[in-house]
Amino acid sequence: MRTTKSFAPTTLPSWRQPGWRRYLLTVGIAAVILLLVWFGLRHDAGLYSRQVAQVESVRTTAVSKLVDDHDNKDAQVRQQVRARLLNGKHKGQVVHFTNSYTRSQAIDFPLRTHQQVFLSKSQGSYQLSDAKRDSVSGVLLALVLILLFTFTGLHAFQTLAAIALNTGIFMLGINGLLKSHGNWPWYIMGILAVVFTIATALLIIGPRRVGFSIGLATLLSTLLAVGLGYGIMTAFNYRGIHIEEVRYVTQNPRLIFFAQIVIGALGAVLDETSDISVAVFQLPADAKVRFQAGMAIGRKIMGPLIAVLFMIFMADTFAESILWLRNGNTIAYTVSWVMGLGFAQSLISAFGIVLAVPITSGLAALLAGKKVAA
Amino acid sequence: MNAMLALIICLFVLLLAVGGKQGTGSFAALMLNSLIIMIAVILMAGGFAPLGVGIVAGMLILACTIFLSSGDNEVAGIAFVASLIVLACLVLVVFTALHLSATAGFGAEDGEDLEGMSTAIGVSFRQLAMAAGLMSTLGAIAEAAIAVAAGMHELDIEADLPGIMRMGREIIGTAINTLFFGFFGGFCGLFIWFAQLHYPLWQVLNNKIFVSEMLDVLFSVLAVILTIPVTIWVARQRAHAVRR
Repeated sequence: MRTTKSFAPTTLPSWRQPGWRRYLLTVGIAAVILLLVWFGLRHDAGLYSRQVAQVESVRTTAVSKLVDDHDNKDAQVRQQVRARLLNGKHKGQVVHFTNSYTRSQAIDFPLRTHQQVFLSKSQGSYQLSDAKRDSVSGVLLALVLILLFTFTGLHAFQTLAAIALNTGIFMLGINGLLKSHGNWPWYIMGILAVVFTIATALLIIGPRRVGFSIGLATLLSTLLAVGLGYGIMTAFNYRGIHIEEVRYVTQNPRLIFFAQIVIGALGAVLDETSDISVAVFQLPADAKVRFQAGMAIGRKIMGPLIAVLFMIFMADTFAESILWLRNGNTIAYTVSWVMGLGFAQSLISAFGIVLAVPITSGLAALLAGKKVAA
Repeated sequence: MNAMLALIICLFVLLLAVGGKQGTGSFAALMLNSLIIMIAVILMAGGFAPLGVGIVAGMLILACTIFLSSGDNEVAGIAFVASLIVLACLVLVVFTALHLSATAGFGAEDGEDLEGMSTAIGVSFRQLAMAAGLMSTLGAIAEAAIAVAAGMHELDIEADLPGIMRMGREIIGTAINTLFFGFFGGFCGLFIWFAQLHYPLWQVLNNKIFVSEMLDVLFSVLAVILTIPVTIWVARQRAHAVRR
């Protein structure tokens, strides 16, 4: 969709029009909205059934040095915390508790004044349960939405509708999984992929021949990529790939490994097939020229698209890799056990992104050709 | 032979067959990026400040991705300058958000992976989360910047502003789609965990891993949205400079 036709210059979009007043107005409105969201999420304790409190003061009471078996030096810090309850029967009451954290904050965190937390109560005294995190993510979400509407106007609704629809489909898919009692069968993943693709293609392109070409090319490329990845890994007996290390999974890690690849790659492949198809369908030339044009566009965008998924998959492995290295594991061992899975997923997703180039170009050239003949 | 090596060779063959010279460039970028990431992780584990290492590695990864996978040097130059500006803005956002969010390190759901490990390892996990958050956006920044710069190269920068704006809108739309699926894919297992154990919505929305993941998605979307006007601005500045 990235190729654009030349338009005669019409009016400038609103944000390009000269005039500081308009600019300041936009920034002002955005700031007010962000403040309102922040204020709202800082005062939503009434909506929670769990005990919420706001930290009023923090005092460090003890710092002790820690040295572990691998000679890592860290420190354990104890905080004496005074907090005010924000909801429930004892709203307004001041409570005291202690928090202890390590300097490196791997599994705990320091408390600071004004921070909101969840507390649990046992034997009449309160303990820290977890941090309340909705205000930070909420404000950032609001900021992203404001920017999205500022730069894309009403088209933002289309983007958001696609996300909402896909989230709904994803939830239904997970429901299907739970109904199958944890043995996520292959066909649920397949159905999920098909529904994702059709829904997104329909929403972005509409029920047109281009949309059909995009959907078919996306499914074919993803299927081929996963087939190829599965074939290679089976042929080499999964040597060097530690599939049991897939995170948060207790049953059937192999299936979840491929589900992650399919869902992860679908977006990038859809992006690519729609770029190529839309451009190719606009060309009046014969099928061969159209195919070559499609290949040229695809070659340009496949590299950066591979990088998008690669960075997403690899960044997720950082914290654990460093933990492993500092726990006395060798570099080769850590790379293979921790970073390996993310890397393998990036590679198989990349298969899909590369295969999509000829598949989409071919399909689009053929289907667009029929349209001209008809 | 090991399965990973077979996958790498297969990708190389595919890239070569489909992309020719440009394909080998993309492959070289991928391999170099892997090397940079590995060195960055080793340096972070070796005691260097993770955020600093992350920023430097991030700049290198942007350079590799942009210059090796886009054939045109003028397009690549504009895209690179624009992506550095976006990276600088993003450092501020990531730093502020992760300073307030208490999402660094591991969550309760990671427990099994941490068994038998010492977690008091003297490396700041908060900085590590900042570095990871920044790095996960790099691909998206590079992709959007190249797309805008290449598109503007074909259009008339002065006369066709509405066309450029329309292109920018479309890039934002498809990039958000890519990111959404990418992150959903990466954390498929976690969502199944939540559903299986019937986490209530409030707990999911405040869960350490979920929020840190959601922040990463938002950083990426924010980065892509910022990349569009910044790249347009850089390309126009360069066009003006050339004319003078």
